[in-house]
Amino acid sequence: MTLDPNDPRLTAYALGELDETERAAVESELLFSEAARQEVEEIQATAGLLKEEFSSEPGFELSQSQNALIEHRLDSRTTRNSWTTSRGLYAGGALLAAASLFLVVYLNWSQRGTSLENAFEKDRNGKTIGREISTGRVAKELPKPFEVANPRKPPVQQAPRQGSNKRPVGQIAREGQGDAGTQLTVRDQLVSQLQSQAGQLVRKEVVGNTRLAVPMVPPATLRPTAGPGGGGGTAAHSFLQKFLLQDKVSVPQGYDSEELKSSHDKGRYRQNFNTEAYDRLVDNPFLRAIQNPLSTFSIDVDTAAYANLRRFLSSGALPPKDAVRIEEMVNYFAYSYTGPNNSDPFSTQVEVASAPWKPEHRLVKVGLKGRDIAQEKRPPSNLVFLIDVSGSMQPPNKLPLIKRGLPLLIEKLTENDRVAIVVYAGASGLVLPSTTCDHKAKILTALENLEAGGSTNGASGIQLAYDTAVANFIKGGTNRVILATDGDFNVGVTNQGELTRLIEEKAKSGVFLSVLGFGMGNYKDSTLEKLADNGNGNYAYVDSLQEARKVLVEEMGGTLITIAKDVKIQVEFNPALVGAYRLIGYENRILRAEDFNDDTKDAGEIGAGHTVTALYEVVLAGKEGALPGIDVLKYQKPVEASRESKSRELLTVKLRYKEPDGMTSKLMQFPVSDRGAGWAQASRDFKFASAVAALGMILRDSPYKGNATIDSVLELAEAGKGEDKQGYRSEFIDLAKTARGPVEGTKITN
Amino acid sequence: MKSSENQDQSSNLKALLHRLQGPLIRYAFQITGDLECSRDVVQDTFLQLCSENRASLNGHLEPWLYTVCRNRALDVRRKEGRMNPLTEATGEPSSDSPDPSVSIEQTETLGSALKILETLPASQQEVIRLKFQSELSYKEISQVMGLSVTNVGFLIHTGLKTIRQTMLAQPRANSKVLRRIK
Repeated sequence: MTLDPNDPRLTAYALGELDETERAAVESELLFSEAARQEVEEIQATAGLLKEEFSSEPGFELSQSQNALIEHRLDSRTTRNSWTTSRGLYAGGALLAAASLFLVVYLNWSQRGTSLENAFEKDRNGKTIGREISTGRVAKELPKPFEVANPRKPPVQQAPRQGSNKRPVGQIAREGQGDAGTQLTVRDQLVSQLQSQAGQLVRKEVVGNTRLAVPMVPPATLRPTAGPGGGGGTAAHSFLQKFLLQDKVSVPQGYDSEELKSSHDKGRYRQNFNTEAYDRLVDNPFLRAIQNPLSTFSIDVDTAAYANLRRFLSSGALPPKDAVRIEEMVNYFAYSYTGPNNSDPFSTQVEVASAPWKPEHRLVKVGLKGRDIAQEKRPPSNLVFLIDVSGSMQPPNKLPLIKRGLPLLIEKLTENDRVAIVVYAGASGLVLPSTTCDHKAKILTALENLEAGGSTNGASGIQLAYDTAVANFIKGGTNRVILATDGDFNVGVTNQGELTRLIEEKAKSGVFLSVLGFGMGNYKDSTLEKLADNGNGNYAYVDSLQEARKVLVEEMGGTLITIAKDVKIQVEFNPALVGAYRLIGYENRILRAEDFNDDTKDAGEIGAGHTVTALYEVVLAGKEGALPGIDVLKYQKPVEASRESKSRELLTVKLRYKEPDGMTSKLMQFPVSDRGAGWAQASRDFKFASAVAALGMILRDSPYKGNATIDSVLELAEAGKGEDKQGYRSEFIDLAKTARGPVEGTKITN
Repeated sequence: MKSSENQDQSSNLKALLHRLQGPLIRYAFQITGDLECSRDVVQDTFLQLCSENRASLNGHLEPWLYTVCRNRALDVRRKEGRMNPLTEATGEPSSDSPDPSVSIEQTETLGSALKILETLPASQQEVIRLKFQSELSYKEISQVMGLSVTNVGFLIHTGLKTIRQTMLAQPRANSKVLRRIK
């Protein structure tokens, strides 16, 4: 086992930052690695050079009056407080300090012909700190903008405001080692994680034993010299070589993957799709507007469900009900909403017409359109591809598809963009350090060399990927981890809750997440969707090169550039007009009404050029009696009409969003009235979106599907197809046709 | 005598003031990009020290000063809406010297490593400056920046690596590093 030259412990070692045990461990490993020893020398040389150059930078000083002010405060403070607090004795000191205070003031005054206060004020004039200080009141008036200002707590435990966004590397892996002195490296966490996995001793054997087997070396032989210098004449040569030559990518090989054997078994979906995990989904019920006037949910621009159910349908199978998320189907398609014409990140359009599957109901379509950002105006990107190379990724529709799909995206990147590749299987590793995209050949070679094998420790890969992204953070740019996996994490942190928390924590670093789901058989949809939802991310399922092109090239802006985050929608219904309503889809995106104004509650992101569509089915007041699940109320008064409720407003759409790097949300409101249009007069987008929703309800065999049939879906979709340049809507029509067999087939068997 | 002890403490702090004001101003300057603002930030930092219970700061006074300075500077930057010079510095320093041959010459004499440093992401620049200019330990840096020690180690490691790699790509600077290694 040679010490990886990329191990941050080497740097810590070279700089003398390791404690006794860590140092001994590194030294024993250094014995076996010529490369690592050179690395240490080079690190020290660079450090020495930096120190030297830093020391030649020009110095800065406070102004004379600033120094005088501080010294004066130091003196008086020393007198007043340190003694009252510690001993309660201060008379002597106070006298002395008062004398020196006097002296300082006097000197200043006499030298500069002005009082200390004035000098100070003058000094601050023209500067824009936006706050005035005069000597006498300084201590009291100094605002306490930092948490650190609390004298009772040592600053150590207090994360500075800004810095707290960048969370520690290994939240999860560190068990009881949060304290000083213990310096955990990413790799140490990995080892400890691995060691804790009985039966997964993949690297423990290697790493652990090496450490034990190596006899202790006399420290003098390897201890870093105090400054730059030292021996190693060949170091320089291989130093160069190392960076000029392409490292061959190696990936841990060969463990487990029971699931591999069965992954291509199409036929089994019908009888047994249990190894594909989907969370249970229950259709949103109708709610009475008078009892629940507010409907609140987080937007969702994921498209995975549609691509996933396409896979089922085209193989002649009916997808599991829980895999059909209607909002993701509807949002798979782009709609021709007009973008914002002001500074808002997105525009909002609402359309009301009759519900095609139940003409006596109204269908309200809320459409958002994110601002478009032209390719040439795209901010620089810092992307980290986090690629699952575990054994389960071997089938052609997984890793090989990734290797064909990602180059489509890389081709579009420019020298302003950076790409790094992190792989994970049983262990994780940085295959390609962050590289600018003028070195495309290098990036593509690294990608091409990936091979699948081993178990899947998703958590450690996620940590490394986020660390890499944070280390190369581009302010004002796109900082994103792109996770490509089948989601079957089976080593390390596999508990979904923990994984979600890990991601949530990482999202605070300002790095966004895109999840690309691949493959079938052991596809873990539920894990992946949660990861994306909690990681300020989006989620797409990639089943073909064509889909890869859609997600990574055509919708690149939307996938990569987030223009608003935590976008929440709240609709307030006017009970004078609305009897009951139902949100179609978004079942796992529902928020509580009070979460709408709570900026700490995470919600969905909208990307550049993205469209987001939500549909409400509305029953007009007085007609809700016969709805499934709704009884006529016995004790409630008829609507107490507020003045607004007498208006013709059907509902008000309220939106909250944050700027991508913002902390506080902004509110937008749009009152909507119903002009009573039938669906035939509605826009094409309205027809098409309702066709997609109707197919979703049919596939879910929803109790609310009304008289929707495959035929009516086809009719609606044809009417709403429009220009359809990219052919996605035509593809939907074909898909609806293929759905006919499985759908009608189940009716017969039922 | 209490009073003389007291004076000792006071003069120690004054020594600290004079020793650290330069590095702190530079640190604040990296964040705010404005020298006058940075002086004010450092002044505020020391004034804050005056109103602090210093007994609680024993042993980590320096990182405490850097922490307060950093927070204050970030606050100012937020209010001013200034751009962070750390992130936009790429290429800027050499723009003063139009003649490329001169600038190469300068690169060697005026600090090639620093030029490369300026092209690194802000967080890496910050840790590297705190480590090698302010000579704080990993642990102290982690306190100042609110990062984990591991993360600090990772950032320094990554930053140094990029500097070395970039130097090796430039033959002239290269020779300088190579000389050192031999």
